[in-house]
Amino acid sequence: MMPSVTATLRFDNRRLRTLLIALATLLALGLVLTGSALLGEQATRPDFQARLLPPGIDHWFGTDTLGRDLFSRTIEGLSLSLWVGLLAAGLGTLVALVLAVISTLGRPFDAAVGLLVDMILGLPHLVLLILIAFALGGGTQAVIVAVALTHWPRLTRLLRAELLQIINADYVRLSYHFGKSHGFVLFHHVLPHLMPQCLVGFLLLFPHAILHEAALTFLGFGLTPGQPAIGVLLAESLRYLSAGHWWLGVFPGLGLLLTVLIFDRLGASMQALFTPREAQT
Amino acid sequence: MPRRFVFWPASVAICLSFTFPLPVLAKDELVLAIGGEPDQGYDPLLGWGQYGHPLFQSTLLVRRADLSSKPDLATAWSLSDDRLTWTLELRDDVRFSDGSPLTATDVAFTFNQAAKAGGRADLSVLQHARALDDRHVRLTLKEPRITFVESFYTLGIVPAAGRDNGYHDSYGRQPLGSGPYQLVEWQEGEQLIVERNPYFHGPTPAFERLVFLFTGEDTTLAAANAGRLDVAAVPPALAGQPPTGMYPLEMETVDNRGILFPMHPDDGERRGTGAPIGNDVTADPAIRHAINLALDREMLVEVALHGHGRPAYGPADGLPWSNPEDQIEDANPEAAIALLEDADWRLGDNGLRHKNGQTARFRLTYPASDSTRQMLAEVVAAMLTPLGIEAQPTGRHWDEIEREALHRDAILFGWGSHSPQEIYYLYHSQHAGQAFYNAGDYANATVDDYLDAAQQAASFEDSLSLWQKAQWDGETGYGMRGDAAWAWLVNLEHVYYVDECLDLGELPIAPHGHGWPLTASLLDWQWECD
Amino acid sequence: MGMRLIARFTARCGRLLLVLAAVAVAAFSLIQASPIDPVDAYLGPQVAQVSPEQRTLIAERWGFDDPAAVQFVKWARNLANGELGWSHVYNAPVSDIIASRFRASLSLLAIAWLGSTLLGFALGVIAGSHEGSLADRLIRLYSYTLASTPIFWLAIAVLLLFSVGLGWTPVCCASPPGMLRADVDWLTRLHHLLLPALTLSLLGVAQIALHTRARMLELMRSDIALYALAQGATRRDIAWRHGARHACLPALTLALASLGELFGGSILVEQVFAYPGLGQATVEAGLRSDIPLLLAIALFTTLFVSLGNAFADLLYRWVDPRLREEVRP
Repeated sequence: MMPSVTATLRFDNRRLRTLLIALATLLALGLVLTGSALLGEQATRPDFQARLLPPGIDHWFGTDTLGRDLFSRTIEGLSLSLWVGLLAAGLGTLVALVLAVISTLGRPFDAAVGLLVDMILGLPHLVLLILIAFALGGGTQAVIVAVALTHWPRLTRLLRAELLQIINADYVRLSYHFGKSHGFVLFHHVLPHLMPQCLVGFLLLFPHAILHEAALTFLGFGLTPGQPAIGVLLAESLRYLSAGHWWLGVFPGLGLLLTVLIFDRLGASMQALFTPREAQT
Repeated sequence: MPRRFVFWPASVAICLSFTFPLPVLAKDELVLAIGGEPDQGYDPLLGWGQYGHPLFQSTLLVRRADLSSKPDLATAWSLSDDRLTWTLELRDDVRFSDGSPLTATDVAFTFNQAAKAGGRADLSVLQHARALDDRHVRLTLKEPRITFVESFYTLGIVPAAGRDNGYHDSYGRQPLGSGPYQLVEWQEGEQLIVERNPYFHGPTPAFERLVFLFTGEDTTLAAANAGRLDVAAVPPALAGQPPTGMYPLEMETVDNRGILFPMHPDDGERRGTGAPIGNDVTADPAIRHAINLALDREMLVEVALHGHGRPAYGPADGLPWSNPEDQIEDANPEAAIALLEDADWRLGDNGLRHKNGQTARFRLTYPASDSTRQMLAEVVAAMLTPLGIEAQPTGRHWDEIEREALHRDAILFGWGSHSPQEIYYLYHSQHAGQAFYNAGDYANATVDDYLDAAQQAASFEDSLSLWQKAQWDGETGYGMRGDAAWAWLVNLEHVYYVDECLDLGELPIAPHGHGWPLTASLLDWQWECD
Repeated sequence: MGMRLIARFTARCGRLLLVLAAVAVAAFSLIQASPIDPVDAYLGPQVAQVSPEQRTLIAERWGFDDPAAVQFVKWARNLANGELGWSHVYNAPVSDIIASRFRASLSLLAIAWLGSTLLGFALGVIAGSHEGSLADRLIRLYSYTLASTPIFWLAIAVLLLFSVGLGWTPVCCASPPGMLRADVDWLTRLHHLLLPALTLSLLGVAQIALHTRARMLELMRSDIALYALAQGATRRDIAWRHGARHACLPALTLALASLGELFGGSILVEQVFAYPGLGQATVEAGLRSDIPLLLAIALFTTLFVSLGNAFADLLYRWVDPRLREEVRP
């Protein structure tokens, strides 16, 4: 299970590839985030003379109904989606970790967490997302909270199993014998070993978070149409597609697809690196 | 394997296309996609028929294209001197679509039931309705309110619950009425199929069968392009070249958009709901007048409505109760700047005007889900920049607007009704600060007097001049020349693609709500080809 | 043995009831927390055409006014009597709406489920039995891409291509315009279902294909495969004789466990294709604050998905008897 052990066994192209993918991801992330900052407000200012232009040299992705440059809008949207995804996935991982720790505290806690897991897995994700977004009245925070609160169960199960294994390990028992407190053991022995799992969990959560954010927004429960989120761009584009303005839907969609794909691959190769057994499924 | 996968749907589709019956072309059937599916069903007591023709039911009176009244179920009507009692005489030859007669009992039941149904039909001013005999009905009001007549045009009469075929809980799905058509099938979320009612008392409609498709905008357009529709509602943004064989029909409306201004300075006060009240900038009449003057409304129509609309100068442009004299020369930034200078709003270094330490800046809030309003807000903001006024377009959810913005920000609203009752809600001080009604706390005693006098008029016709005076009486009023409580921007135009053979007759100015209002002229529809 | 089975079955049912109760309470509290004014949501665009008195009347009629606890007790008591309440959006009993809407969705879900399971399985077997081949690479690329595609975007794309562009499939709805429901034959119905169901089935393909592929790799590297190869069997023989058997139950398990995803996808697909199923009703109920309907849908879908999960679990234990305390990633 320890990364070092795996690594010595398979220090071949898998590690290299992961590294490359990670670099590519960071690059893409950096580009999108700095890109939207560099473009600034100027780039997405409406220009009523240049409405609904098809892609061309001046506007790589064309312009929208208000004459805003679609390329800038897409970059802006991606960066917003990335932020939302980062926060949601981060929160989701945290929730998973906390619940996994709680479930190891004793039988009643374990049962309670088990019930919660069953409940969340029993409700279709999107229905629960709609419920939570509805409860919070929509908006960015609502989406972040909703996604964070729906995506933890599988990771929790995984972490819980991992935790049980570690707690029963000899060196942990020894630590207890030396009279160390539960908290001390948790922070010095247990949690550090969970970090790789958490990182992988986070990376695998991330694409889901972005996709669900877009879906929720598309249905009208998420970010408001004033915000340039990808889900908003796609929902808006739906009206114009049948009138022939295909670029409004195609480019933001492709951008989203690529972003999600990159992170998905990064998560998968990290998983393969840290936990080769699970990577199979 | 992948290759086979791609090709089989194609071959199946080709096979299937032969098995389909094409739409019948002997024109006794029309297929329309004009939206407006009532999820609650076709129950007038819950609000069905507020716009356009109720289809299954008939009403006491109907409107002509010029909005004047024409008898339908009622042949005579009169209002008592204390303005509290309406007495109506009914036709005696009216039958429901199952052949049973419609009597005063049914009318009285409909009004009484609608008053307590808790739906979208608002009859809260009705005290009670009573059938005097089979042909006479008396409606008693709680207070004089001339706009009650609106219900004569919109409330479809249903059979009284006491009869065998009477009103019941699921009436909305099995509507029975005396209208020109009867329900054949309603496939919820998809389509409504209706056929002529053989017992209809009016002229026989030209089409035996109508099919209303409840498709989304884009689907409607696709279906129209595929030649499957006789009438299609098209969002203005998409209205370009109509499909072959169809012509574009533009229906004028009072479906308007305008900016509501908070009328009071911010004193730190709050509503019961916790919403803050007041705005120091918009409370200054000079700012409101300058905005009204500077806006280029033609340009707004061009950009935000893609040319499908007309400038709006009041809440009911073109309707008999709006005052044509409340007119200004807009698109005039120079005059606006002069006006601001006179009022001591001085240009500062940042390009904005100041007065007494106050910067000419306010939020222009719009409901975030509405892209037309977003566009209007953006364009308005751009038009005000040269004046040194900064309007900040801000999109928010409705509930957030209610909590935060309703009485503090300038807000982009949309109204438009066939009843002047709306004027009363928007401008009477009695409704000041009540949720969406007069959210800007507009209050002018003279205007209040006119509005109240209008409600107490002896007839609807008599009330018209009073409504007009409330807008502008030569000295004051809620309109642009008076207090300029609003800056009205545009009236939308509803666009339809209509089959070249189909004549829809003369259409009235439509209220708020795209789609169903088109059916107002239902009985005049004709097929011109053979 | 029989006793044990019964005991396990009762435990499962008890657990399911507990989960449903938890969902009911959670969903109800979530809905109550919403800041959206139900009267505004009810009136929609007509929000300013009614008087304040009428607003009060509306709140009374549809029970928007009662305190949360009272509403919950009322609702729970009705539920115990088998009544799910009255939907104000559709002005009909909630149970009727769910029944008719689910009937429409069921055929969609069933076709999509079958399609994704079969297609995913087939692709997985092909990829897994020829590791590293062009087919394997293509299938993997396809699966990864598909897993990253927003389903509603995919739906829009196929709608544009097949219905608007090529005109092979209808643009919307479950039956042609003007045709009475009784007159719609099954071919027509299928024709209208085809595109939404295909789109929806693409959603599940990726996961099942990748999972099956992993299983197949395992097999192809095992002694069984080595032995068979030594006896002169081709890779294809091994794949379809042994591999398919080896990998089909896990694929089925996975398919059963992903009913939730499938239903979530159907919400989006129905929205794009204007297909009048339960998914569309969910969105309407959410956007317009139809509390009884939203609650009932939450409960109903939980039941539906939990049953799928339970079956998957049983199947999983049956396939792999070593597993008692299962840990699934």
